[in-house]
Amino acid sequence: MKNLFRAFALSLVVTGAYASTHTNDATKPATHAKVSALPIPQCPPGDPNGCNVCAFTQCVVN
Amino acid sequence: MGTAVVLTSWLEPLLCLAGLLLIVRAKQLREYRYFAALLAVRLLSDAVLETLLYRHKFLHLTVKQFYVLYFYGYWTSDAIEAILGFFMILSIFRLAMAPLPGLEKLGMIMFRWAGTISVALAITIGFGPHVTSNSFITRSVMQLQQTQSVLTLCMLLFVCFAIHPMGLSYRSRIFGVSLGLGVMATTDLVTAAWLAHSPNMLSISSVIGGISICLTLTIWGVYFALPEPERRMIMLPTTSPFFQWNRISEVLGDAPGYVAIGEVTLDMFAPAELEVMRRASNKMDTPLSA
Repeated sequence: MKNLFRAFALSLVVTGAYASTHTNDATKPATHAKVSALPIPQCPPGDPNGCNVCAFTQCVVN
Repeated sequence: MGTAVVLTSWLEPLLCLAGLLLIVRAKQLREYRYFAALLAVRLLSDAVLETLLYRHKFLHLTVKQFYVLYFYGYWTSDAIEAILGFFMILSIFRLAMAPLPGLEKLGMIMFRWAGTISVALAITIGFGPHVTSNSFITRSVMQLQQTQSVLTLCMLLFVCFAIHPMGLSYRSRIFGVSLGLGVMATTDLVTAAWLAHSPNMLSISSVIGGISICLTLTIWGVYFALPEPERRMIMLPTTSPFFQWNRISEVLGDAPGYVAIGEVTLDMFAPAELEVMRRASNKMDTPLSA
């Protein structure tokens, strides 16, 4: 049980460390998502299409 | 995919509410106040953002008005959660290190420095070339979340491998909360890396984010629903580095004592001090000569 927990924690850390080396790329725009199912508002607030946040959530737009 | 997003986005606030109620039932609101605050902020932000997403037609909002509210609501809640996340890591570390106050003191100093540097770094990175006020917000919050994720994973590693000297077990709530935070932190870093290379994968990242947060909230719920084992009495060998470093750290920062160096003459002392020394000298077998 102890080893199982340790292996899981270690796998999380290794995955996170590996992912963090691939995150920062100065040539691309900053991209980030809150750990949530909510769609990510990446466009500026004045976007006339509402950044298509409704595309995957089937929300109703006026 | 849309159904999975909708399902997890509705399940999340319910699990947040269940988590909050379980903390209250366990009578540990004081110990886990930042954790409870994080759940409350998530619950509130989910309620507001989901109402905007699914019910904005009834609020008589145009797409533009809806998106402005959604944008600021999303990133503000994300920034508050990142800051609360720092305080949560700090409080979990303090709870875990309670039996070793010296190491706790040392860890807190290091953690405060790491936190300050993280905030400074997030603000500095926010000011990049061609940065507008909106991209400044998203870049700063992104950086803050990522440094918080790295710190979370460091703490998970520490709690997991130093669990025995702290008298904890894998059924302890301190470990459960750290584990849940670790799952969240890893998901945060993985989705950030994924989105940096494939921004068109936003929908899949929403599904992964939804599943991950539901898994995290379930882990927390299970740990708070089950009875927590008592903290064991710690028996450390005198050669243990935890014991040694704790003793060293306990005296760090204490006010120092002072020693007079060089020749000391009588006129350097106050009359009362001289009187005390004279009386002490009289009590000795061979009194000191004046």
